[in-house]
Amino acid sequence: MLLKGSKDVERLKGELESRYSRFDKEIVITTNATCCKLKKSKEVEEAFSRELKKIASTKKINMRLTGCLGFCEIEPIVIINPQGILYREVKPEDVAEIISESVLKDDVVTRLVYTSPSGSAYANKADIPFYKKQLRIVTGNNDIINPTSIEDYIAAGGYSALARVLETMKPDEVTEEIKKSGLRGRGGGGFPTGKKWETCLKAKEEDGVCYVICNADEGDPGAYMDRSLLESNPHSVIEGMIIGSYAIGSNEGYIYVRAEYPLAVEHVRHALQQAEACGCLGDNIMGSGHRFRIRVSRGAGAFVCGESTALMASLEGKVGRPRAKYVHTVERGLWNKPTTLNNVETWSNVPLIINRGAGWFAGIGTKGSKGTKIFSLVGKINNTGLVEVPMGMTLREIIYDIGGGIPQDKKFKAVQTGGPSGGCIPENLLHLPVDFDELSGAGSMMGSGGMIVMDEDTCMVDVARYFINFLKDESCGKCVACREGIKQMLHILERICGGQGKEGDIELLEELGAYCVDTSLCALGATAGNPVITTIKYFRDEYEKHIKEKQCPAGVCKALFQYSISTDDCNGCGACRAKCPVEAITGGKKEAHSIDLSQCIKCGVCFDVCRFDAVKKVPLKGAVL
Amino acid sequence: MINIKINSVPLEVEEGTTILEAAKKGDTPIPTLCHHPALDSFGACRLCVVEIHYGKRVKIVTSCNYEVWDGLEVFTDTDRVRKSRAMTLELLLARCPDVRMIKDLAREYGVKQGRFSEESDNCILCGLCVRICKERMGVGAADFVGRGVDMKIDTPYSRGSDACLACGACVTVCPTGAIDLEKRFSRNEPVPLKSVFNAGMSTKPVIATPFPQAVPNIPVIDSANCVYLRTGGCRTCETFCEAKAIDYDQKDETVEVDVGTIIAATGFDLYNPEEKPEYGYGKYPEVITGLEFERLVSASGPTGGKILINGKEPRKVVFIQCVGSREEGGKREYCSRVCCMYTAKHAHLVKERLKDAEISIFYTDLRAFGKGYEEFVNRVKDEGTTYRRRELNEPIEVTKKKGKLTVTAKGHPALEADMVILATAVVPREDSLELARKLNISLSPDGFFLEAHPKLKPVETLTGGIFLAGCAQGPKDIPDTVSQASGAASRAISILSKDTIMMEAITAAVNEAKCRGCGLCVEICPFNAIELKEINRLGYTVKVASVNEALCKGCGSCSAACLSQAVQQKGFTDTQILEAIRGIV
Amino acid sequence: MSSFEPRIVAFLCNWCSYAGADLAGTSRIKYPPNVRTIRVMCSGRINPMFIVNALQEGADGVLISGCHPGDCHYSKGNYYARRRYQVMKNILEYIGIHPDRVRMSWVSAGEGQKFADVINEVIEGIKALGPAEEIRRR
Repeated sequence: MLLKGSKDVERLKGELESRYSRFDKEIVITTNATCCKLKKSKEVEEAFSRELKKIASTKKINMRLTGCLGFCEIEPIVIINPQGILYREVKPEDVAEIISESVLKDDVVTRLVYTSPSGSAYANKADIPFYKKQLRIVTGNNDIINPTSIEDYIAAGGYSALARVLETMKPDEVTEEIKKSGLRGRGGGGFPTGKKWETCLKAKEEDGVCYVICNADEGDPGAYMDRSLLESNPHSVIEGMIIGSYAIGSNEGYIYVRAEYPLAVEHVRHALQQAEACGCLGDNIMGSGHRFRIRVSRGAGAFVCGESTALMASLEGKVGRPRAKYVHTVERGLWNKPTTLNNVETWSNVPLIINRGAGWFAGIGTKGSKGTKIFSLVGKINNTGLVEVPMGMTLREIIYDIGGGIPQDKKFKAVQTGGPSGGCIPENLLHLPVDFDELSGAGSMMGSGGMIVMDEDTCMVDVARYFINFLKDESCGKCVACREGIKQMLHILERICGGQGKEGDIELLEELGAYCVDTSLCALGATAGNPVITTIKYFRDEYEKHIKEKQCPAGVCKALFQYSISTDDCNGCGACRAKCPVEAITGGKKEAHSIDLSQCIKCGVCFDVCRFDAVKKVPLKGAVL
Repeated sequence: MINIKINSVPLEVEEGTTILEAAKKGDTPIPTLCHHPALDSFGACRLCVVEIHYGKRVKIVTSCNYEVWDGLEVFTDTDRVRKSRAMTLELLLARCPDVRMIKDLAREYGVKQGRFSEESDNCILCGLCVRICKERMGVGAADFVGRGVDMKIDTPYSRGSDACLACGACVTVCPTGAIDLEKRFSRNEPVPLKSVFNAGMSTKPVIATPFPQAVPNIPVIDSANCVYLRTGGCRTCETFCEAKAIDYDQKDETVEVDVGTIIAATGFDLYNPEEKPEYGYGKYPEVITGLEFERLVSASGPTGGKILINGKEPRKVVFIQCVGSREEGGKREYCSRVCCMYTAKHAHLVKERLKDAEISIFYTDLRAFGKGYEEFVNRVKDEGTTYRRRELNEPIEVTKKKGKLTVTAKGHPALEADMVILATAVVPREDSLELARKLNISLSPDGFFLEAHPKLKPVETLTGGIFLAGCAQGPKDIPDTVSQASGAASRAISILSKDTIMMEAITAAVNEAKCRGCGLCVEICPFNAIELKEINRLGYTVKVASVNEALCKGCGSCSAACLSQAVQQKGFTDTQILEAIRGIV
Repeated sequence: MSSFEPRIVAFLCNWCSYAGADLAGTSRIKYPPNVRTIRVMCSGRINPMFIVNALQEGADGVLISGCHPGDCHYSKGNYYARRRYQVMKNILEYIGIHPDRVRMSWVSAGEGQKFADVINEVIEGIKALGPAEEIRRR
């Protein structure tokens, strides 16, 4: 069905809404996203299909297969509408009961509802603390959209923004609206989006050629917001890009996706085909005369290709190496033409702003950071998942109110934001709001939205070492500062973790970090020092313990502790002895066991297996105090 | 024009100038490692960082690729800049502790190794080799391979590249000497260009002045080896020529000149002693010819005048004369005339430079015929050079054992030698026959040009207007050449200075009454001097032959061919010759 | 027969053979006096009838000598001479004159010794053939 304008969109929306409203009950299963698939949600879907065939009912039942709903910890999720009941970690065996209780009747299967760590049960999705405090304006539609269906998107209000833009707004009016909204780039840079579009428009040459790019090369370890958006609601990104192309007068767009996201690529490609079939992409979009096409380009396994100049080099078919950004890519970018590159989440916000207005958008968030931000809340946290919160919410609220706090009641230690380019924020700064400028002020950065929570069992020196090792692998190698600087930082950190730290190492790390900021060619190198500098700033005592006392307080750095069985606590159950892979544990039944340190390989299995906390991590004999 | 300030000194530069270029204009030094004036800026070494101030903000940028704008303020030597450069050098020193260039720069910035874990690489990954090969030579035989700390320079699949021109540009441009053209990059043999002027003992670049006294005294591009002329790449020399004097489109010009007289002074070649393997030339690098020794001992030569063989000064020097000359029954029976004297000169020079050298000269006969020559030879003998006589037809051999040369001649003890110099024969040029045919002159049996009379006409040839000078006519030394050349020149000029020249009247003439216009003589004339013209004979228009006296050279071929005895050579008519025959017999 | 001294007429081209003969003289190379030389500018001047005439007038042998092929002062004359000489030899043979009575040689201006050698060889050859009576008129 060809959409020729807003009237067509309205009419179709109306038709779809009435079609869906005819259903008595709706079963929402999250099968159209990667993690859900991994958790075998497909089997749950098949169980539903099987069971539904068996029953004979007069009720009209719809099964909607959606993408990610954000609460990844409790996948597979099944929601029964219109009650809004959410069932967690559903297995195929549970399906029959769900159907009989909640589909055919209106009851709740209590054993399958969500319970918080404190023990409270919540049957309705809307009541669950995880969802209650979120403001899911970008991801909210995931519940009602099957990502492979453009009809679902239109029924949810999709492409109405595009129709409005093409019919009633001039290109610079669109840019003005985006500027007024205060939208800032969600990929990590936080640059005002409207200003970027304006500069790009001004930089166009006589031939008028300019490009629109969507950066979906999400490389930060632990971050998967963009994947989720592309898998679960690809049309929102596409609609955003088309509106952007109209605003700057571009006819060609690219979505650069990392190759490691095959499902996202599949859904985006499918969505592009559907959009073109509906006349929302192509030579004459919705009859307006505007011409725009989007091509999907896949990455090849390089974190550095998330950097805009490296990404464009990769798109052009060259090696993904950044260049100096003294001339910005908005002025000379892809094929040396003005290019607007924005993150997936940024594009997703555009149709919202057009539909609900810049004023509405600017009303959310803080003075400097408007709207919401999606964070991937991972690590030592009870409610792992993707959360969307308004800017200005504090870290404490996110981690404790939404995230549910630290598992096993362990003590919070730090939260790492912004991926390898960001930093670690300690407990005493948890009152900081999520805001571009506030987080940078603390030495970290919002980045693309990764939020890794760490507890007392995390060694901060090891964390720094982990990120520097990652950056060393991903450095393109062109400039001396990043290639050699990061390499030497890693050597020093490995020495410290290996028990060979020496006086002056901390100062040398700080010096190298500052050097990388000044002298690196691109942001990868320039921000490489951040993990090290912030961990030194807030956890200097841990470093000093590693270096001076050769101890790792968190018990992570294997070279700095050994396993020992406490004779007081050991009751001789023999569980550790049975599991030890090198047979280093000896001890008779009901006798206190002991570990032969000369054989011990420090694998930690005994520590994990002991139910009586008898296996301890003790400092090395002879460690300096 | 744009106004900026570098270290608080105002400067005016054009739009599009980088800070590095502007600093060069303002005579402010900024260190670089990966920059080259003939290549696009790369920005990899980070050594050229400077501080820029705008408003309240201060930023560190690389000067090689930052384009200036109006009002920019640059500081090239602040503490922050020096600290950054020092760290860059310290990191590079840790990577390449043995590279001279990094060590020198590190010393300049007060940097010592010790803080970082050391490697032993010698490539700083500046990319100059990659860029010059791709951007300039248009080849791209090697490139960056791998990512990050594993990055290195290599050819595809680490195999010798076929595309590599072995032009040596990468070796020239590498600041650390890390490139090995032969082993690593090229499947094609890198062949150094030998300097002909230095008798092949040194190499020369593709663009070079041929020799110090060349006329005109400006460099010339060797078009067979110039990469631009071969592939369309490079043109790096153009970047450096401040006078913009390089023109790649110049071609060889053929100039036609009408001349009245010609002097053939085309010189000589030297005999190639490789044809006599007993001397070991070409086998042992310590055996050289007299000309090679001349270049060795010249202050403008490959060693700047130091007598060195295999990099060391020789202690025992042996000269062998008459190599290729005076061969009884052989191709060159003549004496080359100049060798005895120049060998004596060489021996004298060796004694002058290497006071303790032992010098021997193997001669057959000493020809010290000129003014002061005998006296000079005696002087050389007094200086300590030993003259050893050998028989012409007895063999003399040069052999090598355990790195030492030995010269053995009958009647003499075997002599040890560090260096052997052969006085090779003066031979006619390879193209003498070709030139002789062009000029219509003859060669004497020894292959040199033939003079008109060995005693009375030493500068003339049998062909009028063509004269000889120098070794083209026979081996001779400089005083004799100068005399002969003066003579030839004056004979040549004397012809040109006359208004008229007397010639022999032996051209052909046609008796038009007898001529039947058959045209045989027209065809036969080697100089196209005869044509058929129309005349009126008894009321009929007929064609008869007509001789152009200016073109006729007087060979008589027409007269021999004429069936009617109509065309006859004056002075050699049939009647005259027949009378001569009658008279003779 | 041993006292037979043949009379040989030699046509010598001015530039090469005549000069070669001259060189033989200045170099003091001896050769027998049986040869009477006629100088022409070029061996191409020689009309084949001159050969017949010479034999008619009483010569026992005729020698034509010119520049080496390629070196003719007038570029092609010696080629014409060679062709005419070949044809003439066949005709003379046809009329009964021994072909070896007429000889052709290439002698250049520098080949004094060669000239003498050629003369010697020609004389020896004619001596062996004896006097030429066949078409003698006088």
